[in-house]
Amino acid sequence: MKEGFRQSMAWLHTWSGLLVGWILFLVFAAGTASYFRDEITLWMKPELHSASQTHAAQASQAGAIDLAQQTLEQRAGNSRRWFINMPNARNPALEASWIPAPPKGADPKARPKRREFGSATLDPATGKDLGTARATRGGDFFFRLHFDLHYMSAIWGRWIVGACAMCMLVAILSGIVTHKRIFKDFFTFRPGKGQRSWLDAHNVSAVLALPFHLMITYTGLVTLMFMYLPSGVQAVYPDKSDAFYADLNGGPSGNTRPSRELVPLAPLGPMLAQASRIWHGAPVGRITVSNPGHANARVNLVLQEGRDMTQALPNLTFEGATGKLVAGTETGQGSGALQTRGVMYGLHVGRFADSLVRALFFLSGLAGCAMVATGLLMWAVKERPKHLKARKDGSIGFGLRLVDGLNVGGIAGLLLAMPVLFWANRLLPVGGTGRPDLEIACFFTAWGIAAVAGLAWPARWMWRLQLALGGALFALLPLLNAATGGAGLASSLAHGLWAIAGFDLVSLVLGVLLLYASLRLGPRAAVKPRLAGSAA
Amino acid sequence: MSGWHDTFLAMLALAAAIAGFCALSLAMDRHWEQLQGRGAALTRRARRRLRHAGTVGLLASLAACIALRGAGQGWVAWAGMLTAAAITLVLALSYATRGVMRLGWGATAAALLALGAVLLSGDAIISITSGL
Repeated sequence: MKEGFRQSMAWLHTWSGLLVGWILFLVFAAGTASYFRDEITLWMKPELHSASQTHAAQASQAGAIDLAQQTLEQRAGNSRRWFINMPNARNPALEASWIPAPPKGADPKARPKRREFGSATLDPATGKDLGTARATRGGDFFFRLHFDLHYMSAIWGRWIVGACAMCMLVAILSGIVTHKRIFKDFFTFRPGKGQRSWLDAHNVSAVLALPFHLMITYTGLVTLMFMYLPSGVQAVYPDKSDAFYADLNGGPSGNTRPSRELVPLAPLGPMLAQASRIWHGAPVGRITVSNPGHANARVNLVLQEGRDMTQALPNLTFEGATGKLVAGTETGQGSGALQTRGVMYGLHVGRFADSLVRALFFLSGLAGCAMVATGLLMWAVKERPKHLKARKDGSIGFGLRLVDGLNVGGIAGLLLAMPVLFWANRLLPVGGTGRPDLEIACFFTAWGIAAVAGLAWPARWMWRLQLALGGALFALLPLLNAATGGAGLASSLAHGLWAIAGFDLVSLVLGVLLLYASLRLGPRAAVKPRLAGSAA
Repeated sequence: MSGWHDTFLAMLALAAAIAGFCALSLAMDRHWEQLQGRGAALTRRARRRLRHAGTVGLLASLAACIALRGAGQGWVAWAGMLTAAAITLVLALSYATRGVMRLGWGATAAALLALGAVLLSGDAIISITSGL
């Protein structure tokens, strides 16, 4: 070895980070937003804002489940499967959805697509259909974007994201080796010193949230481990991945055919009460009914999220026709491997988190975004003097120009596209088919334009323009919300609608920060010609 | 009652972490000089005291997190609290250097107040006072 260990690690850190950095920024940004997936969805359905404040608190589980059962029996009596999500602190509405009955003569094995599901959003206290809300993917868009990407099959997206996550893990570990002064520079940030400041910012955003970065990258790979490393499952469950997942999650296995004999479904309320008793009073979260109305109907109840860290939540199965408990667990215990995976999965998605821990995860996620962004920018900042020195005429090479362009489009462009989605959500006409896709098309159109513009003019003024636009769009979201039928900041704060108020306030803060960044790139900072063309 | 109890515990966790990191950063030459001017040196005793105080602060924060979220999730909450507190301190040291001392004492006072409130709103104390 000609070079020292640390130097070779520095090389590894640079390239494993840079080559996938723009996708990592997308994954981090969308993932960070996903911690508030339900809140984003609620914000994007302003029709539900006023309803969410009135009844959620009073509604009892027993009352709500009766209402859901009535609605489903009326609207989806011959469906193969029902899903009910009980109201909780984060989503106060009662959600009922169902797989429509397959048309006669259709292939019984064909799986209906998610978008073909029927669904109803109900007021948990009165059963009134709140279904007047606009069609939108809401926060689910960011959640899916975070690991499925978009405009490609989910499988491809997951492979790409997985490869990038692996690079991220390599970059983190090699970064720890490269960073000589983790503790000496623990609190060190020296602003206004060019390259030095970028390195400080990169170090601080990485080191201070290091437990989170390591955890989130590793557990991210764990969430999709059966896809990345399928051999083990295939060896034990050849050609029967359905059976594997049924065993894994303890839910009802696959799609059993409905029996011929018709028996009305027993009331769900008593099953819910029994489950709650078994779980020492903890509420039920999700209910799945397969083959309702048939003799072999099964009802599966899962403990409500937001308590246990593990994703492998305890669940109970009842016989639908008689209401008799047939299988289930009091706690989410399983084998050691199962529990380990459950906790890692749970840590990644953070559904156990209350609002405090959720906010801390969000903050750490922002630190992750900052770490990736400063890392990408630092490569350009370090490279620029070399180019300027070698070329005398002030021009730069293709590679640096490309990175500059991708940095503008990948960082500032994404921060511009995210608020565009929210603006599209409020300004596109309500109704009409394909509205959710249209919102998403607006997001990608804005991002595409920003990326092309960034690649065409990778200059300081382009940074300023895109940051200012993104900042303004973010900062004005509270006004947009109030003006287009949502609960405005004054009303949401007064009524304790923390989900809506929080969205507005976080948008405002993000917007102000982006505007400030744009301002900081102004003429005052341009005094340092060494760094011209990049963000300094 | 448990709502307030949890709120005080969360305040204690954050304030103690900020106070702890304040002490730990001031025990470092670079940051001590930032505050006291170049060449200002810490005595060995003062440095040791700052380090001990910092350790106590961080451990108090851990204890509060575990009291708040249980032994498993408490550690997760603590990691998040440390991140939030350290970011606060980095920003303070860079942009409001003179305010760091005040931040440290303020956070210490807030932590002590929160600790008192935690004890007062805790079940043990409530049962004692209601028994009297």
